[in-house]
Amino acid sequence: MTTSTTHGPGGRAGTIWREVTQHGLLWPSVALVALLLACGAKSPGFLDVTLRDDHLYGQLVDLLRNSATPLLLALGMCLVIATGGIDLSVGAVMAMSLAVSLTYLDGAADPSSPVTVATALALGLGLGAVAGAFNGFMVAALGIQPFIATMILMVAGRGVAMLITEGQITTVTSPPFKSLGSGFVLGVPTPVVIAVAVFVLVTLAVRRTALGMFLESIGINREASRLAGVKARSTTWTVYVIAGLLAGLAGIVYGAPTMAADANNIGLLRELDAIMVVVLGGTRLDGGRFHLGGLVVGALLLSALERAVIIFELPSQTTPLFKAVVLIAVCVAASPYLRGRLRTPRPGARGAQRPVEVAA
Amino acid sequence: MSTDQLTRTASRGTGPRASVDRVRGYLGRVDRRFLPVLGTVLTLLLMLGVGQSRYSTDRASFLSMKLLSNLLVDNSYLLVLAVGMTFVILQGGIDLSVGAVVALVGLATAKLFTAGLPLPVVLAVGVLIGTSCGLLIGVMVQVFDIQPFIASLAVMFLARGLANVVSTNSLAIDDPGFSALAAWSLKFGEGRGLWRINASMLIAFAVLLVAVYLLHYTRFGRTVYGLGAGDRGAAVTLMGLQPARTRVWVYVISGTCAGIAGILFALYTKSGFNLTGIGMELDAIAAVVIGGTLLSGGVGFVLGTGAGVLVYGLIQVLIAREGLDSWWTRVFIGAVLLAFVMLQRVVSVRRR
Repeated sequence: MTTSTTHGPGGRAGTIWREVTQHGLLWPSVALVALLLACGAKSPGFLDVTLRDDHLYGQLVDLLRNSATPLLLALGMCLVIATGGIDLSVGAVMAMSLAVSLTYLDGAADPSSPVTVATALALGLGLGAVAGAFNGFMVAALGIQPFIATMILMVAGRGVAMLITEGQITTVTSPPFKSLGSGFVLGVPTPVVIAVAVFVLVTLAVRRTALGMFLESIGINREASRLAGVKARSTTWTVYVIAGLLAGLAGIVYGAPTMAADANNIGLLRELDAIMVVVLGGTRLDGGRFHLGGLVVGALLLSALERAVIIFELPSQTTPLFKAVVLIAVCVAASPYLRGRLRTPRPGARGAQRPVEVAA
Repeated sequence: MSTDQLTRTASRGTGPRASVDRVRGYLGRVDRRFLPVLGTVLTLLLMLGVGQSRYSTDRASFLSMKLLSNLLVDNSYLLVLAVGMTFVILQGGIDLSVGAVVALVGLATAKLFTAGLPLPVVLAVGVLIGTSCGLLIGVMVQVFDIQPFIASLAVMFLARGLANVVSTNSLAIDDPGFSALAAWSLKFGEGRGLWRINASMLIAFAVLLVAVYLLHYTRFGRTVYGLGAGDRGAAVTLMGLQPARTRVWVYVISGTCAGIAGILFALYTKSGFNLTGIGMELDAIAAVVIGGTLLSGGVGFVLGTGAGVLVYGLIQVLIAREGLDSWWTRVFIGAVLLAFVMLQRVVSVRRR
């Protein structure tokens, strides 16, 4: 995920130093480590991970579990942002997918049978994909701005979720479905396994094939990439479907532990969290270059922040305040203005080296 | 263009083709910038017509000053928010913080009254809180080159967090001066036809008029439109206008409007609550888009935004009159938004 740049003479240590200080993930990573250490100092047991009944337990494991939902959402969001778009509807899609899954389970004869659970899962994911296809249709086929196109579903989606649950908070009991959110696979929490699997899949898909390059080229210049033979339209469409699918999955994973489809509150403002994770991960919102590895750091930072507020015995309602502080700090630290300010006094800066390279 | 005229003159004859062309000719003569707003006005008339035919009784007509007055009373805060948002969107930015600012201002107002400060001070501080939130976004966008979406998102979190710090309970406002301001109104008509003009309507109207003046009759307004053209302010700089200052100012205006809206909302509910205004920024953006302003910036009218707010309010009235569950409102607003986005798309394709 490192950005390869040409380095002038200046010694290996200097190269590494520049590489580190100019890496987009420096500040988020520093913030994450500082936050974890601070939590560890405040509550001594925080960094312990224990093995009980073959299951991993501990604050850090909980933190990983909580990072699964934002990571899933952010993966889809990152791909969409890479094409120069945005998807505001993911929160509403989470609510819709969970609503349709749980409503199906509620009406089924035996909510615990594997076939029923698989069908419920497929319905939820299918609805997510349909929602994504709708967004993709608006953006790719009709050429509507992504912000407004996905806002339509953001506004209407929650209404649709309410229609599905008929305004009730549907609750069902189905142990297999519940285990999607609160179970363990080989001692690791299921949501973590799901998130890691999806992350690996997506990374392979975009970095081992040309897909990632297509996405970046569309994000940088749609028309040029179309002329270069990239199927801009269908690629954009695919990306929105993936984002919808992942949002549906995130909704199911997020809602499975409680098994309650609360259409008003599931996934509320989650789209903004997801966008925040993408930005914290070093991807700029204007499209083009994207960093999947940064998403992991971003998602962990987000849940570490939420956890730290509890550890430090602050009222949990103040979480947005700290989110704001971290977001502003990271964005300002990464802004070109401040970087320029920090760089100009040093003589070995990149701009000054250009003539040397030309001369040599 | 010339071929267009050729076909028009060639087909000037009889039959249905000719009449279609004639309609197109009339439409072509209307400035294309007005087309989205025209759509808004038509929608408004259509909805009023539907309401009139379905809900009018012998005793009371649906269309009345009372309806208009109720619409404005219920949506005056949204009108102010949407007017502020119009500036930002015309300039090519976005402001997601306004809903949270409304909550923060409402709570701060309630808290300041409990502290025993006089009414004018509290109102001024309330508006200034909004102004400083806007200034913060403006500085982040202009100086640190952070995208408006992220900058205003950060301020949204900030304002929401601060509101939660002030109080997580609903604080009632029982200041006598404030209650008198909330209750004050000019009454017109008699009996069932009674309608009123209250303080928040007047404030909202004043904001609207100031916005019309600023956008259409000042150098500042031209800079806002120029920045929305999407060349990163190149044309504006060539014209000798000041893009940097203007870019900060639009967010200050939007923040100030959010501050005013916060006070109007407090007047409306006579309380402050930290959970108010979740999603209100989207209501404002939706009203602006329905009002015919292109989200890409540079095209739109602040009076269109006024019509957009009326459409928005009317949807809620019609849903309530129809006896549908409240979540239908969201679905309908989504559908109306969809229709308008399609219309804008058609218009912008035709302009090319």
